Amino acid sequence: MFTRTDDKITSTQASIFLTDAVLGAGILTLPRGVTEIVKTPDVWLSILFGGVVIILVVFIMTKLSQQFVGKTVFQYAKRIVGRIPGGILTSLLVIYFIVICGFEVRVLAEVTMYFLLEGTPIWGILMPFIWVSSYLILGGINSIARVFQIIFPISIFILIIAYILSTRIFDINNLRPVLSNGIMPVFSGLKSTILVYTGCEVVMVLVAHMQHPKQAVRAMITGISIPLTLYFITVVMVIGGMSVDAVQRSTWPTIDLLRSFEIAGLFFERFEFPFLVIWMMQLFCNFTSFFYSSSLGISQIFGLPFRSTVFGLMPVLFLAASIPQRINDVFSLGDYIGYASLGMFVLVPVLLSIVLLIRKKGLKQHV
Amino acid sequence: MWSKAVNYVPEWKTWVEAGLTLLAPLVMRRLSTTLRTWVGKRSPQEPQASTAPPSDPLTGDFQAEKARLKQQLGRNSDVHFREFELAGSQTPAMLVFVEGMQNEDLICNQVLKMLMQEPLCTEGELDQLSGQHLGSYLQDRLLPLPGIPEVTELLELKRSILSGYTALLIEGLPRAFLVGTPSPRTRAITEPTSEALLRGSRVGFTEMISENTAMLRQQGRTDDMVIESFEVGSRIQRTLAIAYMSEIVNPDLLKEVKDRIAAINMDFLAESGYIEQLIEDNPLSPFQQVQNTERPDRTISALLEGRVAILLEGSPFALLVPVTFTMLIQSPEDYFERWLPGSLLRMLRFLAAFLSLMTPSLYISFISFHPGLLPTELAITIAETRQGVPFPSLIEILILEISIEILREAGIRLPKPIGPAMGIVGGLIIGEAAVQAGIVSPMLVIIVAVTAISSFAIPMYSAGITLRMLRFIAMLFASVLGMLGTILFFLLLCSHMTKLKSFGVPYVTPVSPFRFNDWKDLFIRAPLPLMRHRPNMMKTEDKKRRS
Amino acid sequence: MYRGNQIKVGSALLLSACLLSGCWSSKEIEDQAIYTGLALDVGTEDKEKIKQMEQLGSPPMENVLTGTIQIVPQKSFGSRGNASSNQQKPYVNSVQSGNSVFEIMRMYSLIRDRPVIGHHLKVIVLSTDLLKKYAIDQLLDFTLRDNDIRPSCLVFLARGQAAEAMTMNQPADVPSFHIKDMERNRFRNNKIMKGITLTNLNALMNTKQSYILQTIASVKGKDEFYGAGIIKGKTGKWIGNLDSNDVASISWIRGTGQGGLIKTLDERDQIITYEIKSMKSKIIPKVKGDSVSFHVEIKSKGRLIENWDAEQNFSKVPYLKAAEKRFERKLASEIQTILDKMQSRYKVDVSGFGKQLSLSHPQVWKKVKDDWDDVFSRSSVTFTIDLTITDYGSSTG
Repeated sequence: MFTRTDDKITSTQASIFLTDAVLGAGILTLPRGVTEIVKTPDVWLSILFGGVVIILVVFIMTKLSQQFVGKTVFQYAKRIVGRIPGGILTSLLVIYFIVICGFEVRVLAEVTMYFLLEGTPIWGILMPFIWVSSYLILGGINSIARVFQIIFPISIFILIIAYILSTRIFDINNLRPVLSNGIMPVFSGLKSTILVYTGCEVVMVLVAHMQHPKQAVRAMITGISIPLTLYFITVVMVIGGMSVDAVQRSTWPTIDLLRSFEIAGLFFERFEFPFLVIWMMQLFCNFTSFFYSSSLGISQIFGLPFRSTVFGLMPVLFLAASIPQRINDVFSLGDYIGYASLGMFVLVPVLLSIVLLIRKKGLKQHV
Repeated sequence: MWSKAVNYVPEWKTWVEAGLTLLAPLVMRRLSTTLRTWVGKRSPQEPQASTAPPSDPLTGDFQAEKARLKQQLGRNSDVHFREFELAGSQTPAMLVFVEGMQNEDLICNQVLKMLMQEPLCTEGELDQLSGQHLGSYLQDRLLPLPGIPEVTELLELKRSILSGYTALLIEGLPRAFLVGTPSPRTRAITEPTSEALLRGSRVGFTEMISENTAMLRQQGRTDDMVIESFEVGSRIQRTLAIAYMSEIVNPDLLKEVKDRIAAINMDFLAESGYIEQLIEDNPLSPFQQVQNTERPDRTISALLEGRVAILLEGSPFALLVPVTFTMLIQSPEDYFERWLPGSLLRMLRFLAAFLSLMTPSLYISFISFHPGLLPTELAITIAETRQGVPFPSLIEILILEISIEILREAGIRLPKPIGPAMGIVGGLIIGEAAVQAGIVSPMLVIIVAVTAISSFAIPMYSAGITLRMLRFIAMLFASVLGMLGTILFFLLLCSHMTKLKSFGVPYVTPVSPFRFNDWKDLFIRAPLPLMRHRPNMMKTEDKKRRS
Repeated sequence: MYRGNQIKVGSALLLSACLLSGCWSSKEIEDQAIYTGLALDVGTEDKEKIKQMEQLGSPPMENVLTGTIQIVPQKSFGSRGNASSNQQKPYVNSVQSGNSVFEIMRMYSLIRDRPVIGHHLKVIVLSTDLLKKYAIDQLLDFTLRDNDIRPSCLVFLARGQAAEAMTMNQPADVPSFHIKDMERNRFRNNKIMKGITLTNLNALMNTKQSYILQTIASVKGKDEFYGAGIIKGKTGKWIGNLDSNDVASISWIRGTGQGGLIKTLDERDQIITYEIKSMKSKIIPKVKGDSVSFHVEIKSKGRLIENWDAEQNFSKVPYLKAAEKRFERKLASEIQTILDKMQSRYKVDVSGFGKQLSLSHPQVWKKVKDDWDDVFSRSSVTFTIDLTITDYGSSTG
């Protein structure tokens, strides 16, 4: 067949989609969020442990989704727990996605307004961002995945270069001593590290769109491992470059890391510029993936046309982004989203899996 | 709890803004659908009344035929009726032809001389030679011509005459012989001007479709290449040929091309550009979705990649479909030179494409929005040079960019001898004078020059135009939101390009959808031994380049 | 239908017009004043000015701080092309006094036609007099918060007036660039400390441990790095100065020097000089019960680079060994001096002993870190020095 009519994505695209969904605002705030709690340089261990936990979570979600080929969570939840309960559960998921959307775009607006566009009203940043994103979403998951695929290598490339350059202020002593306060701080940091992986719930939407659902487990694990690695490198570089003490006192530690050195002689003397560029593109991807998931969710739960839900969600997202009044509200919203993600995890994949197991194995029903 | 929640309810202004967030895209959407229905109305040709025109055979009555022809064609001053008698008999005959479209020598020597000087045969035989016999006698013994088609219908005769045939009518014969084939004036084959190369063949297509197809055939001997002809144009018809490799091309693609050509409904197709615009996927897109080329060698290698070429009579530009964005940045020379310089040049061109698109908007965002992102020394230098420039950077850059565009446009129309001189005068003097006058800063002259030069480094002229056009949109974005605007523009462009398809092939393949095998021929041009396969994206029948 | 189109086109145009008009943050680079240096001093009483201001009806001012910012380029009045003719300095220093740093920053707007932007701030100089009164955390809080100022900006102290560091009598030089570039000469002389950026300082301030900052002295109208000032971690205030040799000695203890020399006299009282090619040091903390002691191992390789003694012949190993001993003795006395200064005179640790302890004995460190300076001044420090002269240049004499 020459022209493709099915809206399916390849496994690579699915991996990148998941990576982009997870890699968002966290890359700027994560080092501080975790360091504030852990207070020792062992933060990187928390990230690794958190990553292991989240890989397990993703594994469960993927396995669950694989039971229903070509169906998203919005569709199969109804089949597992019934029409109304399923609708309520997935509506919660949609609301959760919408809140994440608002949060991400709000963080973008805050950072942009602070570092780049002082004086621009917030709607001047939010609106065009939402519009461009919706233009992309109207092209369907295939277009979205393709744009992600273009942006992803650029981001990785710049990110790696930025981190390589920041080795000039990297001091391994900032990461020592290991486990000076024992293992407990590491576990206390676990809570806030898991929060940066919020959004991995898109897995349950993504698997349905895969061309080869059989490869889903591998693709999803790859997809979650990339942000895990990147977060890990980020934390190591930020703490190594700035030390735990400075990280705790910085609002946006990763940007501050890149602002802490200048490379004379290179065209970009200041590397926060390319970093901010790719970070904005990354946030665009992040935002788009949740925007897509939530509009798909609404259209599938309530049987509305996809196009109208995209249009209908635009003002909702704008409002969601406008609700926090101070930067503290934004950060605490981020924390709430983190807790909500735990709740979502228990409510949706775990509950659904258990019910499914009981119905299939225990009651021998055909679902 | 409740009062706390109420605290967070946004003000009415936010609600209005939220409404605006919805309103604007709705308006845009309505606008684009309206435009689309306006522009993209590809109404398929009404099923033509395939009822054949009423049969109107020639009768053989010479005087009657003559009158009929004169009545129908006599208005044309360039249609000539040459009446004579066959030598040795009083049988009247007549040549009908259009002035300037036939070969005079051939008509004089091979036709008129034979018919008027040589006695046909003995007197006695002549009487028997009537009707069928006379015709076959002329064909078999008298006229030394390679082929003498016969026409029996008046309508067909008329068309043949107007398209340049010389018709011979003889008393008593219910047919006309086409004794002279049209020999239109052609020009010499010259080097393709829009795609000149240092290394590579110097042959370019001409306006003659038969020459063009012949040129394709002459690229090498194969029994695989198929050239099919169609007639297009509802009032004035032209020949359109599609060429493809029957064992390589994807049949679905071929069918799609044929369908779209069949759907063309236009009274006259002046240039292959008409075809391009009538068969493209998205008429609202700034990007071309059909590649045009003057080069037979480029065409043939496109065919070998599994693409389809469309040639139109009267146009030296062949169309190649489908096309992807990266193809527009490649040049045949990449393959003719060794792979290392080929790859480097190609990357250079990608850089040039990026520069020509983004440099002005980056300039605007740095100068007007983010002086903090520039290196300190550069920032100070720019601030110094811009002292006294009265305009904001957008206006400043628009002034110079638009004058460069005008210069470029004027350069095409200028007579050849003064063209380069004017270019130098315009470019150098205007830039220098503008700096001296303090209207623009010297830095900007560099920026604009780099942009302009970069846009000419793109091998496809029309792709260069696209980028130049988009550059202005990028500038507008940058002038509103600075860096964020530039990024949003880039994202918008990416979104648009990923949505765009050329005959079913996504426009940004092989970058996305990612096709690793095709990357060998993307940013780098891998050594020829490595390029064992045809591009994956064309989904060719025969995948391997080598047997 | 046609009318509907008109409305649509009209509203689209209106929308784009709205967008176009809103170049909210657009400020041309030449309409802003880039400042590259900031100096903070104790507020000066400009009697004249106060009098004039009072005549204008201004409430009585209490000036705590005086801020000097260095603005480049100086606004030129359309004199393009003939800049070489006027001997004007390429920078302008603007002075304002006020109660908070930010207040001073915004006061420049009252006297200057262009807003000042801090994206390119390279150097902050604080006067030690000011630091006697106020904690460094207080003074630099604004610079750490501000969105324009990059944390890569270097922080120095100045003996006397910090504003003097921002002026130089060389016309073509911009002092703030000059200072910043001088810091790069570290590979030539270990009397220059590694520049402390705002990020570093942020971390130092957060640890509440004492540290030193390079001092700039303005000598005969020229800026010069001379020694360092000690900031007491607990209070964040300046407590004393170290001289250049002390700074060099600290670099020996920490092993961070990249170049420099040791100069001493040989047995005939002639000058011989050792050029440092590499230095390494290892601080080994030893914990016994409650008492902490340190041992420092210093190793260095270098070259005999200058010899005024014609009777010496350094091509022979015994002579080199003897010279090594002399250099070691000299270095030992220098290091002993700084240790004495740290432990008895100022009672602070500014040479990284605490950091080493925290790395190797984090539990002990947790107990002592709150009054580390006292603990350190009571602990014993021993050191060994091992210098090796690997070559003697291209002359064997």
